[in-house]
Amino acid sequence: MEKIKEILNILISATSPSGYECLGADALENLVGDTFDKIYTDNLGTVVLLKKSKKENAKKLLVDAHFDTVGLMVTRVYEGGFLGVCSLGGLDTSVLPSGEVTVYGNEEIYGIITSTPPHLKTGDSSAPKLKELYIDTGLTKEEAEKKIPVGSVATFRNKVEYINGDYVISAGLDDKSCLCALLYAAQALDPEKMEFDLYITASAQEETGKCGPSRAAYDIAPDLAIVTDVNFAKTGKDEDFEAIECKKGASIDISSVCTRKTVKSIMKHLTSEKIPYQVVCEPRATSTNADALSISTLGFPTVLMSIPLKAMHTPSEIVNLKDIKSLADIVSSIATCKDIID
Amino acid sequence: MKELLKNLSLAFGPSGCEDAVRELVYEEIKDYIDKDSATVDALGNLIVHMGGDGPKMMICAHMDEVGFMVTGIGENGSLKFGTVGGIDPISLGAKRVISESGVRGAISAKPIHLLTKEEREAGPKIKNMTIDIGADTREEAEELTFIGDYFTFDSGYEEYGNGYIKCKALDDRLGCAIMCQLIKDIKNGAIDLKYDTYFAFTTREEIGYSGAFSASARINPDYAIVIESKAVADIYGVEGSKKVSVLGDGVIISYADRGTIYDRTLISHIKRIADENEIKNQVNLYISGGNDSANIQKNACGARVSTLSCASRYIHSQSDVIHETDFFAAYEVVKKVLNENPPTKE
Repeated sequence: MEKIKEILNILISATSPSGYECLGADALENLVGDTFDKIYTDNLGTVVLLKKSKKENAKKLLVDAHFDTVGLMVTRVYEGGFLGVCSLGGLDTSVLPSGEVTVYGNEEIYGIITSTPPHLKTGDSSAPKLKELYIDTGLTKEEAEKKIPVGSVATFRNKVEYINGDYVISAGLDDKSCLCALLYAAQALDPEKMEFDLYITASAQEETGKCGPSRAAYDIAPDLAIVTDVNFAKTGKDEDFEAIECKKGASIDISSVCTRKTVKSIMKHLTSEKIPYQVVCEPRATSTNADALSISTLGFPTVLMSIPLKAMHTPSEIVNLKDIKSLADIVSSIATCKDIID
Repeated sequence: MKELLKNLSLAFGPSGCEDAVRELVYEEIKDYIDKDSATVDALGNLIVHMGGDGPKMMICAHMDEVGFMVTGIGENGSLKFGTVGGIDPISLGAKRVISESGVRGAISAKPIHLLTKEEREAGPKIKNMTIDIGADTREEAEELTFIGDYFTFDSGYEEYGNGYIKCKALDDRLGCAIMCQLIKDIKNGAIDLKYDTYFAFTTREEIGYSGAFSASARINPDYAIVIESKAVADIYGVEGSKKVSVLGDGVIISYADRGTIYDRTLISHIKRIADENEIKNQVNLYISGGNDSANIQKNACGARVSTLSCASRYIHSQSDVIHETDFFAAYEVVKKVLNENPPTKE
């Protein structure tokens, strides 16, 4: 687990709000070192990492985890150094007030998201709207204008904590926990045993439009694609009895957008290998890159796997390291199996 | 003094559980006081008698902060909680918390994706929140915490912008820090006391100013100055008096709040001293809040009370914010007041 922690800590500390993945791309490239045979960043910002099999004419396996995270973008600079913002991705505004952010202007600026004191509120504690919230920089308007061009992005100031053993609390575990699993798996894979050339896409702009891997697929033309993303974990409330659970392993999605034959074949393989997994059902679209990737280029088999995560899109997302390890095991097992696709 | 403010603010001390703060305060001042001049009463108040000739003066700041108490543990290891002191649910979402024994967690609610439209519009409710400490079962949770355990915000100290300071619990560790410094000043001879002076580091302010009750009964002061932080709305989009006061415009010399009508003689006297010494000061433009002075004024023989406050943005959240100008102004004013003859009655 120490190796997983090490990879995860670096990935989490790489700043990568949607559209601005470039801020953290160097950290990613430094992290992977010489594990891969080829690394390139496409025009959209997706980092593609290729590890080749020693087998001749190996088929291509694309495994995707998005690198971008939800964030904020500065839209106005007001009197008193307060910044108006819009969101990058589906941010939960109820977690913002009194939270701390870093603004990436011409330099990094510390800020706090405002909250209106109770004695000035109309009605009871209704959900705050983003247009009523500002980033407090403590600067004058003139200073803020000089340091923070409109269009600058901001992310949660993060603190990574490991609690009760294998749980981690942090911002950005959506979807860096999956990317961590993929990098961990890739580092351990033996090219002699790989049945596929492994293309990992650390994709851009999932949170704002799921576009990263479907664009990258045009270059790669994969024979099989696995999208890995986080999914809501059970928190003990009655209504989420269908949800997957932390610590029970990664899940395989059965969904109308996933290729049924391949999903069954993977499940059969994992069962025969005695690798545990959970199952989650999404009758329609999955709200992940699988939706877009499954219909990109001329089409190819696409499956979706998930790590259970609590408190999605907040600065305190929670994941269990065992589930990251589980996803890594599943992906490794598929990459070394020749019977998954015809 | 900012270093002291930081250390005090980071200490753990929700109402009713102020021991760690009190110990830190005592460590800080013990070399500057006579051994038998400090008393800890049954409510946990630390009262330090510094002597001096003149009427009795009680300088007061509370040690406690807002926090959370575990009220139940679910089958799935999640913790139900109640708030200790007034905390707005909108400042709770996904915030990190820490228990007295150092167990960390985060406040958890249903993710936005899974909320119905009605739930989204109704806004966050504390009854729908739990604390997640990474326990999967009740048994696991019970190894880490217990019903009745305290949590506080787990949030650090930062200085940002032009002189702003952010931490949890600046309310009211700023008052504790100022009082520690004044005690040192007195010992070092920097203040020639014109009052028989007591310092009261009080408990349980956030749940109804209760510590100050017994502290003031014990001291029975003629005058009292409460050093506090005050909730203000000094943010963009709030106009005029609704801001209450402005950070950086100086110490607030309150004339009234929801708990107290301050003593005209004393506040005029303090205002004059501040102005004569060119110490920045302001008034509150909106009547709100309350503090220990409400109980000091009405308790025992009664006292002439005033409150000197630092304007605070986002008070009772993980990010209390004050301005260093106001912090140092509050300190300077009290120092000068102790050094000058008491007011003559109007």
